[in-house]
Amino acid sequence: MKKTLSVILALAMVFSLAAVSAGADGVQEITYSLFSQPDGIDPGITNNSFASDILANVFEGLMTYDTETGSLICGEAESYTVSDDGLTYTFTLRDGLKWSDGSAHTAADYVYAIKRILDPATGAQYVDLVSTYIAGAAEYYAGETDDFGTVGIKAIDDRTLEITLYNPTAYFADILTMWTFDPVQEATVAANGDKWTASPATYISNGPFYVTDMKLGESITLEKNPYYYDADKVQLDKVTFRYITDNATALLAYEAGEIDGMNQVPASDYARLKANDEGFVLTPSYGTTYWDFNCAAEPFDNVLVRKAFNLAIDRYTLINDVLQMDAEPAYSFIAPGYVVDGVDYTDDRSTFGLSDEADVEAAQEALAEAGYPNGEGFPEVTLYYYASDTVALVAQALANMLETNLNIKVKIDNADWAVYYADVLAGNYQLGAMGWSADYLHPMTFLPLAVTGDANNVAFWSNEEYDALVQKVQLSTDPSEAIEYIKAADELVGENYVFLNLYYKNGTSLMHPYVQGYYINASQMMYLKTAFVSK
Amino acid sequence: MSRYLIRRVLTMIVTLFMIALLTFCLMHIVPGSPFTSQKQMSQAVLDALNAKYNLDDPLWKQFFDYMRGVLHFDFGPSYKYTGKTVNDFIESGLPYSARLGLVTLCFVLLTSIPMGIVAALRNGKWQDMLLMFLATFGVTIPSFVIATGLLYIFSFKLGWTPVYGVDTWKGYILPMIAMGGYSISFLARLMRSSLLEVMGQDYIRTARAKGISEVRVIWKHALRNALIPVITVLGPTIANLLTGSFVIEKIFAIPGMGGYFVNSVTQRDYTTIMGMTIFYATVLIAMIFLVDLFYCLIDPRIKYE
Repeated sequence: MKKTLSVILALAMVFSLAAVSAGADGVQEITYSLFSQPDGIDPGITNNSFASDILANVFEGLMTYDTETGSLICGEAESYTVSDDGLTYTFTLRDGLKWSDGSAHTAADYVYAIKRILDPATGAQYVDLVSTYIAGAAEYYAGETDDFGTVGIKAIDDRTLEITLYNPTAYFADILTMWTFDPVQEATVAANGDKWTASPATYISNGPFYVTDMKLGESITLEKNPYYYDADKVQLDKVTFRYITDNATALLAYEAGEIDGMNQVPASDYARLKANDEGFVLTPSYGTTYWDFNCAAEPFDNVLVRKAFNLAIDRYTLINDVLQMDAEPAYSFIAPGYVVDGVDYTDDRSTFGLSDEADVEAAQEALAEAGYPNGEGFPEVTLYYYASDTVALVAQALANMLETNLNIKVKIDNADWAVYYADVLAGNYQLGAMGWSADYLHPMTFLPLAVTGDANNVAFWSNEEYDALVQKVQLSTDPSEAIEYIKAADELVGENYVFLNLYYKNGTSLMHPYVQGYYINASQMMYLKTAFVSK
Repeated sequence: MSRYLIRRVLTMIVTLFMIALLTFCLMHIVPGSPFTSQKQMSQAVLDALNAKYNLDDPLWKQFFDYMRGVLHFDFGPSYKYTGKTVNDFIESGLPYSARLGLVTLCFVLLTSIPMGIVAALRNGKWQDMLLMFLATFGVTIPSFVIATGLLYIFSFKLGWTPVYGVDTWKGYILPMIAMGGYSISFLARLMRSSLLEVMGQDYIRTARAKGISEVRVIWKHALRNALIPVITVLGPTIANLLTGSFVIEKIFAIPGMGGYFVNSVTQRDYTTIMGMTIFYATVLIAMIFLVDLFYCLIDPRIKYE
């Protein structure tokens, strides 16, 4: 017996030693699991959020985020000036910039990247980010002119880049953090076409890391880029992004120490991990989870009905009991988090009579006022959602709350995303599950959701006053003035109960505590520039 | 024989064409497009994407252009994964899936056939009961439950095998068991009932009456005939194992081909749906064809005219 025990102990020691030596002192390498393989890693083309962790680390644009404070700072730009009319941005690039293959990298590369996006043959998915702002871009993309000289981006010399906008846009520097604006190397793109992103040899980049290995469906490996202008600050030698699409498997791998971190915490393990795991990371996320009312059709063309639905929802129960997650109840579609002069304007905004609990009396009153006293005569409504475990829970809870509190009949129905989204876009739904994650850190990213005729306005709400306010936000040169218009627009959508707002999301991920110095922004992009392993 | 072969090959080509046509029609009937993403793109962008991938051509033209490519083993570019082709998916995924499939196939054959033989020879005894209980168990429990259970015990709790991937030979063990479970159970039952039936035939009684040893009776006379039904189902089984399993590859994070079968459909990645379907159908039809040829070797009564 004693002998067996000592053998087991010896074995245990061997195993525990093995576990430690896997990340021995001084080895600056991490393996991070991604929930899905991105559909592409071409910064000019993709709009896929799964690409973000890779692109944030292998490319860098004019502007980026400080990995300590999260504030907006210059990236490859050394400095920039804005003309008095707010229309012209002049960037001075850092001296001696280089691509990851060691060749020189100049302002002309930025011009090339934009030119490529504006060529319809490229098939860029985020082209609207460019064509909405840069002067002449929309006309060039539409083929109204062949002369790229009419587009407001010019390389004055190797280190000076001038960008001219349609309208003074106070938040344009924020938008420049998007990977769409990252430079790409003309030589490799011209030589390889779409295939330039398919092999490490041709995938030339300019960020803190560069790609040294790609295995389709399996992993992508990054190593420190010696030609990066700030290479001295980069501490990790190697980062492996491994695609583990089953997050229960990823969690086992994380808990067994086979991977250092992962980017999606399984909902079923959320409460346990939050309570017990030191590596549980909660990051504020600039996004809102809501349901769209189809405002173009009965019964939701009536604001009182929308109000009744908003009042009948118990957001506290939904967040804490049904989903068991950390989230803030939402009464407005614009998420909090944008700060101007140290103040977040959302701090003191109206709740439009809503609270985190249902107000059954007020809800029934609104429904009665709409002509359906005690729910009588109210048509059966269908809660329509895309197939997802989390959204299914929400739909069931909402149906229950609405049936109980409003005394109406509610059905639920779902379809896979492509079918669901096609129906929603066609206005072929009543109440549909939706969510919005910010593309860039400015309330403007939310505002188009309610603008008449916008491709993403699937609530089909239309209000001239609102449309005018949004235009004013885009024209304003002064951030504080813009905030006033945003406030008014937010208020207008709120009083009209255009959306059934549920909660503001938080991002969750897991990273063993020995990995430090990384930064995850509110769009859930992870910056590893200053990350290091400390064991 | 050669006339038979020619006829078979022609039928196979027609079958493949019909499968391709049917798949093409079905996938275009389903709503959504490859460019349905998380956020709606403006019409101008969608038009540009459709033009880039020739999705603005009439459907019949798209179909024949695609089939022309298939004749040259070109399954087209993926609409979803920029810069990748369906051939890339097959080239990178097939080795993983096929390697795991072969290992699993050996495992399945080496366990199921002996299990079935033992159960048949010990018909009604405890060995039979135990083996058939296990076989029922294996058929009824879905592979993802087996996989998750194995993963938790052997990888997580005991640490004997890696949690994910097939970077070492140890990585193959758990996926092999999880993936083989169903086939083992199914083939073992088939082997048992088939052998039992053969053992009751007159010619076995005759063989015994001639005084041939029992081992020889079973090995030479019974087994050969009893294997025919097993070989029949082996064709589709091999095709399935070699082309990968969506569930098993997902759970063990194996970068095989299995995932593309399902994901391409949810993503409406038209070329990938077509490519994967045609590829799988080809393997399946080829396997069935091989099985049919194999009958000749095993049963002299079967002749193809």
